[in-house]
Amino acid sequence: MTSTANADHDVTGSADSAVPADADHRDVLVDVRGVKVHFPIRKGVIFDKTIGYVYAVDGVDLQIRRGETYGLVGESGCGKSTLGRAILNLEPPTEGSVTFDGVDIASLKGEELRRKRQDIQMVFQDPMSSLDPRQSVESLLLEGLKAHGLIENDAAANQRLRELLAAVGLPPAALKKYPHEFSGGQRQRIGIARALSVNPKLIVADEPVSALDVSVQAQVINLLEDLQEEFGLTYLVVAHDLAVVRHISDRVGVMYLGALAEEAPAADLYARPLHPYTRALLSAVPVPDPVIEDQRERILLTGDLPSPANPPTGCRFHTRCPWRQPTRCDTERPVLRTVELPGVPKDHRVACHWAEQIESGELRPHEVEAIAVEQTAGVLAPDSPIIGPTSIGEIG
Amino acid sequence: MSQTTSYASTSDAARHGDEPLLQVRDLKVTFKRQGEEPFVAVDGIDFDVRPGQTVGLVGESGCGKSVTSLAIMGLLPKRGNRVEGEVLFNGTDLLKLSDSDMRDRRGQELAMIFQDPLSSLNPVVPVGLQVAEVLERHKGMSRKAAMVVAREMLDKVGIPDPDRRLKDYPHQMSGGMRQRALIAIALACEPRLLIADEPTTALDVTIQAQILTLLKDLVRETGTALIMITHDLGVVAGLCDEVNVLYAGRIVERAERHPLFEQPRHPYTNGLLESIPKLEVGRGERLNPIPGSVADNLPWTSACAFAPRCLNALEVCREQTPQLEMDFGRALRCFNPVEVAR
Repeated sequence: MTSTANADHDVTGSADSAVPADADHRDVLVDVRGVKVHFPIRKGVIFDKTIGYVYAVDGVDLQIRRGETYGLVGESGCGKSTLGRAILNLEPPTEGSVTFDGVDIASLKGEELRRKRQDIQMVFQDPMSSLDPRQSVESLLLEGLKAHGLIENDAAANQRLRELLAAVGLPPAALKKYPHEFSGGQRQRIGIARALSVNPKLIVADEPVSALDVSVQAQVINLLEDLQEEFGLTYLVVAHDLAVVRHISDRVGVMYLGALAEEAPAADLYARPLHPYTRALLSAVPVPDPVIEDQRERILLTGDLPSPANPPTGCRFHTRCPWRQPTRCDTERPVLRTVELPGVPKDHRVACHWAEQIESGELRPHEVEAIAVEQTAGVLAPDSPIIGPTSIGEIG
Repeated sequence: MSQTTSYASTSDAARHGDEPLLQVRDLKVTFKRQGEEPFVAVDGIDFDVRPGQTVGLVGESGCGKSVTSLAIMGLLPKRGNRVEGEVLFNGTDLLKLSDSDMRDRRGQELAMIFQDPLSSLNPVVPVGLQVAEVLERHKGMSRKAAMVVAREMLDKVGIPDPDRRLKDYPHQMSGGMRQRALIAIALACEPRLLIADEPTTALDVTIQAQILTLLKDLVRETGTALIMITHDLGVVAGLCDEVNVLYAGRIVERAERHPLFEQPRHPYTNGLLESIPKLEVGRGERLNPIPGSVADNLPWTSACAFAPRCLNALEVCREQTPQLEMDFGRALRCFNPVEVAR
């Protein structure tokens, strides 16, 4: 498996635009089909009644192939973390299925599920709160090994721990220390070592570097890439930083309000974003180069992300979309589809009715009136329209 | 509101007077620690801000950028720390002013916006009233007149439906809206200096672009000088006329933004730029991180604090303290600067 992963690196590294030709034949490790995760909104002190749902993830299909890194980007509240957790069955999907290595995760229960978790590990954003402050590094790393019965004797365990620490670039002396004795970057290394300890096939990394300073962030990104090469790992990296995702991913999915807006090989997505949201997102990233900053055209989105408890009808993005059209956009929900455009590969998929026309310049962007989005901290007043045509009328 | 915009350069529209509005001289902030040596958070910082200029303070966590801004605003706690040096605002040393004199200036001549708008707004007072309060306090306006101006301010910072939003509480607004409200409060009295401490760090990229554009437009319109404190070099590249790079409590490099990004001279600045993942660079290309991490104490006394992480370090870097010296229009604190253009 390691060799497949390496071969893949070479292909994507040298030919910037190309997807490996055998992409479709490579086996799929994770198959997510129509996954929805809805959280009920409850009200009432004595009688718990459900007054609505937060549609955190609302119909996502995606495949992660062996040895690749799939990057999931989006802004806060778009459901990217929930989707990551749904893949691990930490958040059981309301609808849809997650197939991991040929097994439907949702069908597993108890002991079987626990065993399966050995293959899927997670790295969290904040290493300070995901590492037990009262456990030494040794005990943190041994926990997973013991739970999955991976150690035979003390000598082997010791050997394994040293290997793990060496893999993530920490000295063996770190074993006896506690999490607070390390810097942020080192703590994240411990978190990664813990995930690695049980020889997983897939690592879900939820914002693995966003809590770190830039100079340390680069160290951890390099480490993740090295480990993938060494152990033939498959990654799902969930992050909000587009540059980080671009750097680490083979393929990228852009999420907006619980659904994928666009999915493409990383180089292709960044060279030629087709969805209006992806365009806006990419144009909003500050670039550390004043020459580029002075010249670039920004697509400024007006208003805020609508509440996932009351998503807009039709295309979720139509309330903020500068290319919104009078028909279809507000009534018909677009599905991920391939587009017939020269130079756009088959696995570049976009959920926009008008992607071709926008790309060809036939449709021009127009001004969008900002819509006030109420923050209702989970509880919704049923009589106040949060988003949608009624409030446009009010403001206009 | 225009739909597509670009950040036009502010430095070209150089309306900067010659007289500095703010002169920070040898600012030093020391925190006392129980049973331990005092901690020097800011270790002798000098910089000027001219009217209408945007100056950036950039650095990683713990470099002293926020403490500098709090010291300028007189917002550090009175006990447990020592602030030395001078902060001359229009010739007056702010550090020597009494508490009540300082209160008169804060909000009127100097204002500040913070990273987390939710914790800087009062949760039990409607947003409109929080804007009006500043005007009542400093301009002696009646509640009624102040509310009219408050409405205008909310409109100006791009809050939709300002009449209704005046009565909203902070928790009813989104993060971006809250930051806009905070900007409205800060700019209500048309201050001459605005300090923005990581104003967009808690926000999403698309909202960040909105807020940065807004800040830039407002600053240009009102001629307010801006000190931008951030860890994000991308934000600095689009916004600041002059950039100060801080490391471990001292300025290591200061230059105008174009020369700074084209040819960073200090190994730390260079290292920062090298370690940022870039949008146009693809999979498989390795980043060049700065090795190690920031030390806890500040070893400036007998060496360069960056020397342990520096790829350019010489013998002298570990034995002497480098001074901030002028070098072709930029200030540099380094014995062995980076020579090659990036």
